Amino acid sequence: MTRGDTRYPLAAMGLALLASAVGLAQAPPRAPAAAKPASPKPATDIPRTPDGKPDFSGIWQSLSGADYGLEPHPATKEGPPGAGVVEGNTIPYTTGALDQRAKNAARATADPRLKCFTLGTPRGIYYAEPFQIFQRPRDLTLLFEFGHPVRTINTNATEHPDGHIDFWLGDSRGHWEGDTLVVDVTDFNGETWLDRVGDFNSDELHLVEHWSFVNRDTIRYRATFNDPKVYTRPWTLDVLLYRRLEPNVQIIENYCSTLDYDRYYPYPATSKLTGK
Amino acid sequence: MRIRIQLVLLGGLAITPAAVFAQGARSFRESSFVPAASGPWTGPQLPDGQPDVSGHWSNTIGNHNNLTDPQGPLGRDDEAPPAEGRQQNARKPKPRSERAPSRVSDPPDGQVPFQPWARVMQEDFLAHLNNPVKPEYVEPFARCAPGGPTKSFMWHGYEIRQFPGYVLFMFDSGNRVIYLDGRPHLPGNVKLWNGDSRGHWEGNTLVVDTTNNNSKSRLGRSGEFVSENATIQERFVFDPAGDRFTYNATYTDPTVLTRPFTVTIPNRRVTDKTPADDWNNLTFPAKHAGNEPIIEAYERICVEGNGDHGQVVASESTEGKTP
Repeated sequence: MTRGDTRYPLAAMGLALLASAVGLAQAPPRAPAAAKPASPKPATDIPRTPDGKPDFSGIWQSLSGADYGLEPHPATKEGPPGAGVVEGNTIPYTTGALDQRAKNAARATADPRLKCFTLGTPRGIYYAEPFQIFQRPRDLTLLFEFGHPVRTINTNATEHPDGHIDFWLGDSRGHWEGDTLVVDVTDFNGETWLDRVGDFNSDELHLVEHWSFVNRDTIRYRATFNDPKVYTRPWTLDVLLYRRLEPNVQIIENYCSTLDYDRYYPYPATSKLTGK
Repeated sequence: MRIRIQLVLLGGLAITPAAVFAQGARSFRESSFVPAASGPWTGPQLPDGQPDVSGHWSNTIGNHNNLTDPQGPLGRDDEAPPAEGRQQNARKPKPRSERAPSRVSDPPDGQVPFQPWARVMQEDFLAHLNNPVKPEYVEPFARCAPGGPTKSFMWHGYEIRQFPGYVLFMFDSGNRVIYLDGRPHLPGNVKLWNGDSRGHWEGNTLVVDTTNNNSKSRLGRSGEFVSENATIQERFVFDPAGDRFTYNATYTDPTVLTRPFTVTIPNRRVTDKTPADDWNNLTFPAKHAGNEPIIEAYERICVEGNGDHGQVVASESTEGKTP
């Protein structure tokens, strides 16, 4: 296997253990490093809804550190190092877009996250706070802790609305290809970043997501970016999402944008009134 | 030609691509109603046994201008509607007897049973609503804060989605999860705008115990409030015919009140037949190849600081550093 080993250490460890347990140590020789990355093996023993579709219901969170930088990067005071989540390591920016990213990176305080703006798609998926998926046949409802917004992935054969609408989270229309949920996302507002170091897309982004189970408690999430305004060719990021299994875990509303002013409320503060 | 639509919900002002028909909102509005009675559920059920009440809904009596006189006046909201067409429901109030009753259904006088000092504080807030000389006079809703458990039902149309173990409310400002799995509440020091909600179904009634209230939201622009010690029992009573429900919320708070009080708000289902307006009905027909009507609501994300609210500037003038 190739860089999949480094990107999915837990999954790779599981596969290695599985291989040794069933005597498959004589696996095929490893592919050259330049070849297509090996994929975690699709799982078949997975949760399913009554209609037989994979059931992604649950609370999920990435451990990828992708929010600190999608591309491979060393440690800084602002965040830990990372091996990167971009296939091929480099986001293929146009020349002008590369300049813009450099400006963003030089002014990290401009990160919309710090203004508590909605993170957008796909940043909300791999951000370091959990989100919950609720699933019905007609749609998947994604409730994010950060900002507490809802993103709907429609799976009822509806199409993107006509024209262009500026959505923070995009307009998501999905369908099933076997056990993979494929989601077409358009109608972005272009005001979000992809990570803390200024990677970005435009409002013209056309994102295609692939959601599939690696095992019962792990989702492989791939997102392919097509945005000629910003990138010279399509590119893909690839992360794992782990199920949060703590007994008391729940999505706790984090209306981040209220934190700048919530000290003024309630008015009057109970403590002032009661003298306690 | 490409159409670009900015779908940002500024505080109090929803800019939507739908044509605006003020009459639509008026036709949805009613000034009297019969509260739904608790009893058995005879309507459709979900596979997990919950009454199926999922879909789009809206209250029928008005916005949060005034808790105790839902269709009555509040300052210049009614007296001076601006030219751009906002506050389009504003009009000369009818006589009180022809307006919707107080949302406070108990005590019988229709007023929040404040301790005297708390009444003074409520009136002080109201007196400064349109002249917020201190940050605490700015109604938090104007800054895109969630409305809180009750006031969320005094605002735009919203959606209910149900899942095994959960009821999800998607409001115009904020989202709220009701847990049906009997789990304990969060620790008491985790205070939340929409509280921490545990519910169960009793026939046609969703009974919800809401604690951990940060009580930072007001109960209306009229300024009614409770303290962080408040607990709320909510009863969502659904008419089995499926097109109406009555929201009842009983507040208990010895810090602020002399006795508990109950808020009652009627709600009606929004369907593909509901006239388009920009208030009760925030849905749009979905584009699809089939013939059956499918309506959907677009994302609802409020961006703080971009606009004013109730003609009150909610940014620089009151706090130089407001983001």
